[in-house]
Amino acid sequence: MALIKVRELRLDIPKEARNLAERMLKDLENSKRPYLEAVKTSLDNSEYNSKVGYLTPGDKVVRTELNVSSVQKLARVVFMLEILLRNLDIGAVNTKRELYYICKGLIKGNTRYKPLDFDGQDESDSIIDFIGDMLEVYREELNCFANDRGGQTYSQQLLVTETLADGEKANIDLSTLGTSPFQPKNKPQSLKLKAKKKIDFCLVVESEGTAGTLQAMGFTKRNNCILMGAQGVPSNGVRGWCKLIENQLDVPMYFFGDLDAYTMQNIFRTLKAGSAASLIRNGDFSAPNVRFLGVLPTDIKKYDLPHYQVKESDPQEARALKKAKDALENDPFFKDKKNKNLSDVLRWLIKEKIRCEQQSYFSVDPNDPIKTEKIILEKIRKGDYL
Amino acid sequence: MSKITKSSTAEYFAKNLQQVGFSSPLKAVLTTLKEAVDNSLDACEQQEILPDLEIEVIKVGTGSTKNTDLIKIVVEDNGPGIDADDLAKVFGEYLASSKFGKGQCSRGQQGIGISAATTWAQMTNAKGVQVVSKTKNMKKAISAQVDVDIKTNTGIVKNKEMIDWKNKTNGVRVEFLIDGRMQLNGDGGLLTYIEGTALLNPHVAMRYKLADDGWKKTDRVSTISPDIPEATLPHPHTFKLGEFITHSTLYGKTALSKFLKTGFSRISDQSIKDFVKAGMPKNLVEKPVSALSDEEFKKVFQAIQATELMAPSTRSVLTVGEDSLSKSINRLGKVDFFSVMTRKPTICDFKPVVVEVALARFIDRGDEQSPVQLLRFANRVPLQFDKSGCAITWAIESVNWKSYGLGQPKESLPFGPYVFAVSVVSPFIKFKNASKETIDASEELVEEIRRALMQAGQKLSRHIKSEMKEADLERKLAHIEQFGPILVEKLVLLAGANDTRKKKAEEGLRKILGRDSEEAISQLEEAQSKLAAQNKKEAKKSGVPDEDIVASENEKAAKSKKTDKKKKK
Repeated sequence: MALIKVRELRLDIPKEARNLAERMLKDLENSKRPYLEAVKTSLDNSEYNSKVGYLTPGDKVVRTELNVSSVQKLARVVFMLEILLRNLDIGAVNTKRELYYICKGLIKGNTRYKPLDFDGQDESDSIIDFIGDMLEVYREELNCFANDRGGQTYSQQLLVTETLADGEKANIDLSTLGTSPFQPKNKPQSLKLKAKKKIDFCLVVESEGTAGTLQAMGFTKRNNCILMGAQGVPSNGVRGWCKLIENQLDVPMYFFGDLDAYTMQNIFRTLKAGSAASLIRNGDFSAPNVRFLGVLPTDIKKYDLPHYQVKESDPQEARALKKAKDALENDPFFKDKKNKNLSDVLRWLIKEKIRCEQQSYFSVDPNDPIKTEKIILEKIRKGDYL
Repeated sequence: MSKITKSSTAEYFAKNLQQVGFSSPLKAVLTTLKEAVDNSLDACEQQEILPDLEIEVIKVGTGSTKNTDLIKIVVEDNGPGIDADDLAKVFGEYLASSKFGKGQCSRGQQGIGISAATTWAQMTNAKGVQVVSKTKNMKKAISAQVDVDIKTNTGIVKNKEMIDWKNKTNGVRVEFLIDGRMQLNGDGGLLTYIEGTALLNPHVAMRYKLADDGWKKTDRVSTISPDIPEATLPHPHTFKLGEFITHSTLYGKTALSKFLKTGFSRISDQSIKDFVKAGMPKNLVEKPVSALSDEEFKKVFQAIQATELMAPSTRSVLTVGEDSLSKSINRLGKVDFFSVMTRKPTICDFKPVVVEVALARFIDRGDEQSPVQLLRFANRVPLQFDKSGCAITWAIESVNWKSYGLGQPKESLPFGPYVFAVSVVSPFIKFKNASKETIDASEELVEEIRRALMQAGQKLSRHIKSEMKEADLERKLAHIEQFGPILVEKLVLLAGANDTRKKKAEEGLRKILGRDSEEAISQLEEAQSKLAAQNKKEAKKSGVPDEDIVASENEKAAKSKKTDKKKKK
């Protein structure tokens, strides 16, 4: 049974895999070293053009040529490729962890495969990623799906039509779900969106809990909007879902999260322009028009928000600061002039060594349960975002 | 106004025994043993006697203080013995020493340790030390108990009697009964102390019984008693201005040039000319030192400090030597391989110093996951407490051991089944405390130790690298055998190819990977020949007969033939 396509892919994966095996086999027959090449997915091979809006791969490739050291990796790649092709053939899906155990099972059943055995899931994961980068296909296109974390969405206006694998269509009116949110799958391209009434904006909140609070206090009742919780670093599901909203509804999208180096680089940058690790898929998994609503450095003074000194003795904080410095030097997203206002925030964070959490808005008027909503709306109205 | 009283030295130490190594029951036992052994070894060395020690540390009952045992510590030597008249001074009087301020590298220095041990025994068990002593001139041995009279800092000899002492011609036996606790292994362990003493004293033979273990012995591996260096004239760079002026007063009206030449080592006529060049006023050269003003002294002193002089005499510090260390290491266990390094004497912090390092990997002690065992020595005495503040520890942690093939967490001791022994010898070691547990970490000294470690590390890395290359080759050969067939099988399957193509691909794969393994073999051979060259050089130094080297070379060759065969398969 064929699955819903993630995108219109011109590539025929089984055919491509066959060609690859044919080429490698021919090399071997001629005593030539066969090799595999994959897009280099790292920051130093990332390019950014503000007109495109997301990180794209440069022309660097990782080339693995057969030698005594790499023969293990090559053997593992073809071993895993065979499993993935079989899954595609019969329409089976798996998570990476399941694939890890499928490998274990196959290895257990055939002593000759014992040397291939993976010591941990990270080893099998890196082989799966390599295959994706090599064929330049999404893992979802190899029927390997991740857990759909985050993206809980509330709206009184949004209608979603999902095309199911058997061609059936499911219509979901988010206003009829009661207190339950709608959660997108990480193949959001099978969804069609429509607005019952004009939607004014989409708000993505870093903290799932705070998104829930806003919803419970009537945010979506008072505003024609889409309210979404990101749950930290956005998963592929969240990223694809935001892209879909941006493409199909054309509503302004705002991100509301903590003011710290981690949120700026890891959460917001990934949502807006994708990541270096997913260079080949950023086109479908980033929302370039999303704006950073706050917490802004100016908000701290304006609303007298409680904030903290970053403890450099805390390894995690120290790492985030070091990464921020590194990002200013090497990350094409922050180096781009168009994003100067965002890189200025990073510079400010490095200099002031301060962090301020999104929940600090609740300190502004402790007696008004919807003060945070009011501030958010005021900021949107006044254009107080980056 | 309260009355100002003067207390005796003994009173001071009796109240402050924690300062001299008696701060816990555990330390009390180790310190007592250490002081007794130090005295024995120093005495033997002075008379060039090869020491035979018999050591017994056992629990004999419950201690008088809470949570302690009553421990008996016996050390018997074959040293020159102590005259009956000196017993009270040696064991019962503080600061009565034959070694104080002599500028020699003896283990003991001030004459505090053994009297402190007597005091501890007296305080916890109401009895001082039981001594048996015989010199060659005595017909019978003297047996007595020595106590410290704390009020007057004098020794009291009790229950004196003359006895027949086996067939012994000379020697001393001390027996302490003290409150304490025993620990055998680990940094502060008694066994660690015995092993350390054995390592740095190749000329010592010991029989010992610790706790419930049976009697054990360790034979001497050298029959040469270490030459205790003569106390030489001081080196001018070891002086400070004040000391320099005080030193001159001993020379009265002597001319400055003569004072410098006869009062110090390493100053020649040429040096005097150099001092003038460095700013010493020429008119002072023949002036009597008694007539020099403080200002003039300062100018002379500054010129001397600014002039390069020969390093202090090698004779004022003593070394165990790479040869003896190499032999001694085998007394600790089954050595896999080792590397030793004796640095040339140098000046650190105005004092002559020699650093020696022995790094050894053992087959039967330690493991890959734990830090190396560190043995620290100052003047050949093991240092067993407060490791973290010691110059030796700092130096080890500052070296990047990863480059020599050892695992090492950041700024920590490296890992592996190794013993790292580092010895610092100097007539004036600067300790952090009177109990001599930690060498003060000055920048110069840490750097000197670091260099020794790095040189030893380089030698060690030849062994490790050769081993790594061997493992690398083995791994590569295994890779070809294991993964090659799978790769071909799966490619054939994916491409839908037939058996003929499969065979051809298998042949191609063997050819390609064969080239790689040949390269690995030649890398291994290169590493092995480098190691063999080093071994040969080392062997020459320590005088191992050539056949041994040839034998070990043959072994290596046989090994590499084996890998050759494997390759051909």
